[in-house]
Amino acid sequence: MSAPLGSRQRIMDRIRTATQAVAGDSGQRAASYAALPRNYVHRGSLSAEACLELLVERLREYDAEVVETTPQELPAAIASQLAASGKHTFVAPPGLPAEWLAAGYDWKIDHGLTTKEVEKAEGVLTAAFCAVADSGTIVLHHSDTEGRRLLTLLPDWHLCVLRSSQVVETLPEYFDRCPQPPALATTISGPSATADIEMTRIKGVHGPRFLHVILVRD
Amino acid sequence: MSHAASTHPVLDPRIAPPFPQAALPMLRNPQLRKNVGHAIDVIQAKRARLVAEKTDWQELRTAAAAIRTHALENLGAYLEQFEANCTAAGGTVHWAADASEARRIILHLLRQENATEVVKIKTMTSAEIQLNPFLEAAGVRTYETDLAEIILQLGEGEPSHIVVPALHVNRSQVREIFARRMGLKDLSDDPQALTNAARTYLRQKFLTVPTAISGANFLVAETGTVAVVESEGNGRMCLTLPRTMITLAGIEKVLPRFQDLEVMLQLLARSATGERMNPYNSLWTGVTPGDGPQRFHVVLLDNGRSSILSSPKQRQTLKCIRCAACMNACPVYRQTGGHAYGSVYPGPIGAILTPQLMEMHHAQSLPFASSLCGACYEVCPVKINIPEVLLELRAQVTDQERKHFSRFFDPMYLGLRIANLLFARAWIFHTAQWFGRIGLGPFTRKDGWIHSLPSVGGKWTQTRDLRGLPSQNFHEWWAARRKEAK
Repeated sequence: MSAPLGSRQRIMDRIRTATQAVAGDSGQRAASYAALPRNYVHRGSLSAEACLELLVERLREYDAEVVETTPQELPAAIASQLAASGKHTFVAPPGLPAEWLAAGYDWKIDHGLTTKEVEKAEGVLTAAFCAVADSGTIVLHHSDTEGRRLLTLLPDWHLCVLRSSQVVETLPEYFDRCPQPPALATTISGPSATADIEMTRIKGVHGPRFLHVILVRD
Repeated sequence: MSHAASTHPVLDPRIAPPFPQAALPMLRNPQLRKNVGHAIDVIQAKRARLVAEKTDWQELRTAAAAIRTHALENLGAYLEQFEANCTAAGGTVHWAADASEARRIILHLLRQENATEVVKIKTMTSAEIQLNPFLEAAGVRTYETDLAEIILQLGEGEPSHIVVPALHVNRSQVREIFARRMGLKDLSDDPQALTNAARTYLRQKFLTVPTAISGANFLVAETGTVAVVESEGNGRMCLTLPRTMITLAGIEKVLPRFQDLEVMLQLLARSATGERMNPYNSLWTGVTPGDGPQRFHVVLLDNGRSSILSSPKQRQTLKCIRCAACMNACPVYRQTGGHAYGSVYPGPIGAILTPQLMEMHHAQSLPFASSLCGACYEVCPVKINIPEVLLELRAQVTDQERKHFSRFFDPMYLGLRIANLLFARAWIFHTAQWFGRIGLGPFTRKDGWIHSLPSVGGKWTQTRDLRGLPSQNFHEWWAARRKEAK
């Protein structure tokens, strides 16, 4: 520890003195937390179908390309997206099903790829943990089908496979799906963007500029 | 920009001029006011549309306010919990009582890494402790990576807003800065071209600089997780590629549980940039083997925050989640822009936060930089009653001045003392009115208005007219009326 213990003690003392009238012991704290008002919308009101439609609409507003398919057709849908991209070198996390990795491309599977190797790839194929329709958000927990954070960051083109059972309507519904909070999570709502120059929205600053989503009806 | 040298803003509250004085160069700069006005109109319109579509907006605000209040009331316990969980996950937690200690800790960590360069994610907290000039002087080059921060860093400008810090700079000014500093003579002023220039400029830095510094939007006590909210992906780059990450966070940023983010993230994006969700949120917990920085430090900064905690009225200042909705809504900020506030935290939240962080020793003019219209309170996603805090701080400033001998030379103080005397007795008041009528008579025009006064009185008539005293006051009129009736 480079910080002297003295500062920790001093800050803690100041905090405890300042809050002694309101801070509770652990029991009171838990009770006070449990009593916090939470009357906001937890569960969405849309039908499953309408929820998927909303997600697709939101993703398209973000200029993401969305195609829908069935579990049987998925490998073909992936192959056609890859073909349409005009790209050749792709990275993929190690846990993807073999049939997703269409033949005829240069696949670099991430068994510890270096930054340079990932940077050279033109695109990346991953699964996802969840998607939130209300805001068009894709959530990655970076498992071995979603890839290390690096994978979905450096390549300019991201193809993401999403199952309809992973789609929820509201953000609180996503949190309900995480009884164990993830150590890592990235939420993606459209491609990298900025509005720092005269509030003009510009797509593609540092993250991938092209997001393609395959929605699998399962 | 030709006035840049003469009007370079000072954002250190200890040496910044008082608000009315600092606001003058801004008020006289039509380009700056136009840039600020345009940016604010755009954000305000987007925010209004997205808040209106959210049926549970008020319930979200209520929940967020309650969560933040609860977290601050139990701050000690939640910070300890955060520290324990972050440490268990492989992070190292440092505590900095003030700005200079935070700077020293960070420099020490950089020296351990033999770092000569560092990439930075936009963090207002690092601007608060004036980290960049300190590191540069110690021989560490800092590279800001947020587009707005690059504009300011390369243009040697200062932030004027906490979410879009360069909103006072327009595209041709950005073009000039980039062309000059990046050596791109043929650069156009199209925002797309300017953004591409920044992308190219930084790509190599992301790939090669092994040390990064970030701020934090939230710290989660339950898990030891840190959250960073952003749009461009520069944050993800800094959080993923370097070997070592140093996060500087104010002690007030802590949330009790992971699930509390479901409230905060919904409110923050809509309030800050008028988006349903900002493009990227990154959450990480300590160190994850094989993924991202393998050395992780959190520097928890007090720097005056704990002194704000004891009074419930003032404590609410620390609920702030830095969305900037208050400055976007503020009629004063709209006219002056951010630099007039003499702090990296401008607008209504700055007007209450800055003097309190200075423990009321500096920035005493800021609580008066408000019309108390309440627009800031109305938009605040965590329901900080900013007007209430402003009034409380005004009272404190007035109490401080009461102790100063110099008040006897203050025209405002003297005027009020005299008024106090005049209003105390009816006969003195009437006599004063009589003298006033005679004295002001020569300055009163036929229309009953005074258009200009000499000396101190001119301070009033410079900007507005004054009603002349009527030939008959209410008492005289009443007495005359009763006499007639008889």
